[in-house]
Amino acid sequence: MAHAVDACVHCGFCLPACPTYALLGDEMDSPRGRIVLMKEVLEGALPLEDAAPHLDRCLGCQACVTACPSGVPYGELITSFRGWSEPRRQRSPLDRAKRSAILKILPAPKVFSVAARIGQYAKPLAPLLPAALRAPMDLLPERVPAMQPNAGFTPAKSKRRGRVAFLAGCAQQALTPNFNAATLRVLSRNGVEVVIPEGQGCCGAAALHTGARDEALRLVRQNLDAFHPDEYDAILSNAAGCGAGLKEYPVVLHGLPDEERARAFAAKVQDISEYLGGLLREGDLERPMPTSRPLTVAYHDACHLAHAQGVRAAPRELLRAIPGVTVAEVPEGDLCCGSAGTYNLEQPELANQLGIRKARNILSTTPDLIASGNIGCHTQIQSHVRRAGDRVPVMHTVEVLDLAYRGEL
Amino acid sequence: MIPEKLAPTPSSPAPRPRSNGVPDNPLAAELTRSLGPKKVLSARSERLNYRYDAIQFGAVPLAVVLPESTADVVAAVRAARAAGVPIVGRGAASGLSGGAAPLRESLVVSFTRMTRLEVFPKRREARAQSGVVTLSVTEKARPHGLIYPPDPASFRTSTIGGNLGENAGGPMCFKYGVTGDYVKALEFVDEGGEVHELTRDAYDLAGLLIGSEGTLGLITEVTLRLTPPPRYTRTLMASFPEVGEAAEAVSAAIAAGAVPSKLEFMDRACTNAVEDFLDIGLPREAGAVLLVDTDGDDLETVEEERALVEAACLKAGGAVRRAQSDAESAALWQARRSVSPALGRIRPQRMNEDIVVPRSVLPEVVREIRALGDASGLPLVQFGHIGDGNLHPNVLFDPRRESPQAVHDLAHRIALVAIRHGGVLSGEHGIGTMKRPFMREAVDPVTLGALWSVKHALDPRGLLNPGKILPDEEGDGAHAHP
Ligand SMILES: Cc1cc2nc3c(=O)[nH]c(=O)nc-3n(C[C@H](O)[C@H](O)[C@H](O)COP(=O)(O)OP(=O)(O)OC[C@H]3O[C@@H](n4cnc5c(N)ncnc54)[C@H](O)[C@@H]3O)c2cc1C
Ligand code: SF4
Ligand code: SF4
Repeated sequence: MAHAVDACVHCGFCLPACPTYALLGDEMDSPRGRIVLMKEVLEGALPLEDAAPHLDRCLGCQACVTACPSGVPYGELITSFRGWSEPRRQRSPLDRAKRSAILKILPAPKVFSVAARIGQYAKPLAPLLPAALRAPMDLLPERVPAMQPNAGFTPAKSKRRGRVAFLAGCAQQALTPNFNAATLRVLSRNGVEVVIPEGQGCCGAAALHTGARDEALRLVRQNLDAFHPDEYDAILSNAAGCGAGLKEYPVVLHGLPDEERARAFAAKVQDISEYLGGLLREGDLERPMPTSRPLTVAYHDACHLAHAQGVRAAPRELLRAIPGVTVAEVPEGDLCCGSAGTYNLEQPELANQLGIRKARNILSTTPDLIASGNIGCHTQIQSHVRRAGDRVPVMHTVEVLDLAYRGEL
Repeated sequence: MIPEKLAPTPSSPAPRPRSNGVPDNPLAAELTRSLGPKKVLSARSERLNYRYDAIQFGAVPLAVVLPESTADVVAAVRAARAAGVPIVGRGAASGLSGGAAPLRESLVVSFTRMTRLEVFPKRREARAQSGVVTLSVTEKARPHGLIYPPDPASFRTSTIGGNLGENAGGPMCFKYGVTGDYVKALEFVDEGGEVHELTRDAYDLAGLLIGSEGTLGLITEVTLRLTPPPRYTRTLMASFPEVGEAAEAVSAAIAAGAVPSKLEFMDRACTNAVEDFLDIGLPREAGAVLLVDTDGDDLETVEEERALVEAACLKAGGAVRRAQSDAESAALWQARRSVSPALGRIRPQRMNEDIVVPRSVLPEVVREIRALGDASGLPLVQFGHIGDGNLHPNVLFDPRRESPQAVHDLAHRIALVAIRHGGVLSGEHGIGTMKRPFMREAVDPVTLGALWSVKHALDPRGLLNPGKILPDEEGDGAHAHP
């Protein structure tokens, strides 16, 4: 960690990229400032509890990593710092309970579905609840859909081009089952057979980034056992956060026994848009049907796709491949929407401000459709766009493609 | 790197840090009382982060004020003066000469929340509070068909106040001039807490404030001149086996009558550090790369000028690539802007020079500096606004591996090369603390005396950013030759 801290030349290039700096305008809530705070804490010059509020406000969006010419691996820094500091934190019992509940519920689709349903019925009571409980409820859709079971195997519908393994995801299965359904349809239509390996679980990113390192290690190993990279052309995820988590496995296991396995695994991981973008570039993607009228699609870069995985071009290319679609660039597009994993549960105030700002920026492009590649962004953007009084649909990139194939756009 | 003599005085043993918002010193308490807790940072965890700029760490300030108006600045200055505490102005702290890093316990006035910006298209003017980020002036002016040309590489981060403090320049300044050329008027708060509005007539006092690095007053608002952007711009990149050849091409192109809007260079270490970041296909093997824009409202002239530059580059032994699209030129310019921080990939710290030499001697100067670097064994790189003769030789180092003394010696020898060839120590980054030790060699005693008289007139108690720019008055000069 010390090396990474030293790599920062405090040039300030990352400041304009940082959402919390944009909102708060002070140095402690900037990447450069946080790096200094971490260093001071690690050197014993600053008590952890003094630095903690500023470090807790970090979304982990990694916009600073994209902006940093010196190559400071901020993402790894904050993750390892959280892992180091969490056991040393003094948290209130309520706080602890909340955090462990989040970590238990999010990764378990069935539990989440039940919790979401309870939440949905409790929604009318929301104004009476403390902010910490109100925030997650705000994000629930008006109707929590029924869980759909996942087929373990989906055959290729046209000439077989590939074979992939798919990470089914957690909360997303409960909230937006159509993400996975559309993904399977699009892949199979393009000649890709899809296996959903048994025994897979949560990617572990939520645990890792909140500092629950042991839990994260357990989940990582569970997935390494479930997926066998050499049996597939690729291991796909359609949730940017999870994809980024999977790609991080070698870092998580760095210096531990399974590091090599993690490397082989991560080398195969791709986001769904990356994989389909590859087919498109090879001329192997079936041409979508033209839209019924010209459509402006505002594409939102999920932080974990654009910053953590560096995937920006592919989703735009896929959308543009639909005849009749124009992709609109969102002003301040690099600024996080405020969802960021469990952020809107832990920092509802800031998450809310960022959500409002994001909705305003997106709506300024007067889109017919909003597309993005991450469940967290999806719920956040949907809820803030609705609150701004707009009914424009919010979809996963792959859902847009799926509709286009079916001639329903 | 802080020369021994300038090392911050160790502060009294830090009291147990508190983060509960209770100010832990009388100045912070007074400021909190008059300005309210939101505008004052007093906990140590908050103040810690206001001790550095982009080159240097200084002392933890006693208190930090985040003013929202000129009146807040006045209140802060008065409180600091009453307490006898030095005042350090701060923008985005992207400065490269130590200007915004306090040398002892001070009050830091950070302008990042003073961001009001108005554009007056008819008058081709903008009125900006000091904390406005440089790039946003152009962003706000562009819909009115206007831009603000000064473009330091840091323009996404740096503030207008900081730009004035350093009289910042950038690639565009070769043809269009530096920050000071675009300032029509400014408002500043003096050491006594009085507010002044200066224009550029009678005595050009505004000119005096520009480039004064916060040592004469705190700039609170500025009226900036805007211009229409040229209709056409063309970009060219030329690569050369050796750095001196690039400089020869520059001299030849300008002698032939070309007035490119931008004329920049970077040497091999720079292009490689940037390639590691951006991966856009810069020629990794070349000893030096030139980046050139020609622009204007008449496409034919713009192309002719590009051809002139191209011919000069080919003649000097270069290979030329024309940017084929706006996207390609944007990528090349992003590459140039990223040079400075990308050097962090080579070593975590650097001694950054900012010399300006006559264009006629450029080839000798860059070759001499290259040779000094090679002989020293330290990683030395060069880049800069070569069209203006403004070079940034940087000595990169890691204090655990390289001796700070050797770094300082090399920097000193580079400064002497500039002075010997009729150049100056600073083109745009200011003197700050980094180049202060060389001032006696660069400026004659009579002129230094005049500078001191100005300083005394505007800052009689010496409370404004002490220890910056001017060497100690009765210093014996010996410290300048460590
Ligand atoms: C990667 C990188 C590239 C750079 N490229 C260039 C370049 O191309 N050209 C160039 O000129 N510079 C460049 N710089 C240096 C720096 O960005 C400029 O000097 C810039 O003008 C500083 O602005 P700032 O807001 O960061 O000021 P700061 O660093 O905060 O302050 C600079 C000085 O101005 C004083 N000051 C700040 N605000 C005020 C105020 N309101 N009133 C009075 N004094 C004030 C400070 O006390 C300090 O002495 C670069 C820096 C970096 C890190
Ligand atoms: S851009 Fe990178 S090197 Fe510069 S301050 Fe930010 S993290 Fe540090
Ligand atoms: S990860 Fe995002 S919020 Fe955190 S410091 Fe970087 S840019 Fe700011």
